[in-house]
Amino acid sequence: MSGYLEELELPHFHLWEKTEEKRIPLSVEIELTERCNNNCIHCYINLPADDEEAKKRELSFEEIREIVDETLQMGCLWWLITGGEPLLREDFADIYLYLKKKGLLTSVFTNATLITPELVSLFKKYPPRELEITVYGVTEKTYERITRTPGSFEAFRRGINLLQKENVPFTLKAMALRSNVSELEAIKAFCKSLSKGPFRFDPFLHLRLRPNGKRNRQIRNERLSSQEIVAIELGDKERKKGLLKQICEEKKIGQETVPFNDNNQLFYCGAGKASFAIDSYGFFKLCSSLYHPDCVYDLRKGSLREAWEKFVPQVRARTAENKECRERCLHCSLINLCMWCPATAYLECGKLDKWVEDFCQIAHARAEGLANIE
Amino acid sequence: MDKLEIIYARSHDLVEREIEGELIIVPLTSGIGDLEDELFSLNEIGRDVWARIDGKRRVSQIVKELEKIYDGEREKITADVLGFLAELAKRKLIVEESPCQVT
Repeated sequence: MSGYLEELELPHFHLWEKTEEKRIPLSVEIELTERCNNNCIHCYINLPADDEEAKKRELSFEEIREIVDETLQMGCLWWLITGGEPLLREDFADIYLYLKKKGLLTSVFTNATLITPELVSLFKKYPPRELEITVYGVTEKTYERITRTPGSFEAFRRGINLLQKENVPFTLKAMALRSNVSELEAIKAFCKSLSKGPFRFDPFLHLRLRPNGKRNRQIRNERLSSQEIVAIELGDKERKKGLLKQICEEKKIGQETVPFNDNNQLFYCGAGKASFAIDSYGFFKLCSSLYHPDCVYDLRKGSLREAWEKFVPQVRARTAENKECRERCLHCSLINLCMWCPATAYLECGKLDKWVEDFCQIAHARAEGLANIE
Repeated sequence: MDKLEIIYARSHDLVEREIEGELIIVPLTSGIGDLEDELFSLNEIGRDVWARIDGKRRVSQIVKELEKIYDGEREKITADVLGFLAELAKRKLIVEESPCQVT
């Protein structure tokens, strides 16, 4: 190494600090479509693949290009393409290539069922930063119990095989829910056999972004109990190690309660600090889950710069009015173990500043489980 | 061929981005850089060399121009520039321009 050239690894990317200080939107997540060819029982967003109304309202390639160009001027480096199922968009390859050719690190989240030889060639020549694929099961019965789409398991295997055959790297991850929990060990073995790194699984199921009583009941039925979640997490060596390292050492669980939020600011998280999300219809959000009507900005009626420079600070300045939320959530030493945040509180009970009993139970169960290990 | 006579051009398979005053090189296609997702940043001297890799200048000319900017023995500057260019070439961030392409 001559010393004139520095290789940058993203986790240690020194620009992160600089950009957060200066509020540069380094990272963007876009839901290209809410439509999906699967109909997963736990999904918080999906619409039918043939929903023409939704399709008509989606951002056009031209509109996306304008947003991309504006983010480049603002210093953005990373775009994540997600959905719904982003590969449903007929112009997916055009959008993907546009991002790549602008020098943006581009990640894609997909269910892999729509992977074609043409897409494999595209990913082989222009590699995504990450290609993340969710595994719902390793048997047809379990997989399709969740996706509720006949033939989806075979399509998923075909997609994975196409990528493998051409050595296109991808990462597998899983959702842990009632319908596949009995198969979780086999899912873990499958994921670890095909992708590097620790087994990534998520047992926290979000409710629908747009309220839907029937679908929300289905999602709640799929949620594992706090005891089950803790047992799964602590049964996974790497997850346990990570939780202990990140949470126990830093926050000293169970030893003291540190009031770290004297101003009762609702947004203690990083939403809108160096990243934001855009939904399929051009609504700007501080993060993908934050769907409260006062916290979204219609880019079709305004500008990205105004959203970032004026709207985000207004949203982030919001404080909790609810006493229970202030006392039980914002000053809680277990907040890093909790699913609670203004976005998820709104999805659970229609208010940004409301305590959520189920989340609280899970956080305490996790803390107890971790404390017993120490 | 004398290494000082070589003409280099920046690869077409990368994108240069300037973020917060830093020059970031983003590989576009696979095979550029050691890892597919790697980014590169250049320090001040690196940027001065990079700016002169234009598919027209010979290495000897780049060295000559750097001598005017930086203190140092010609041998040392030459060795540094050659080392840096070799590193860029190894990572396919630059390519040798064939003589017939140079006008």
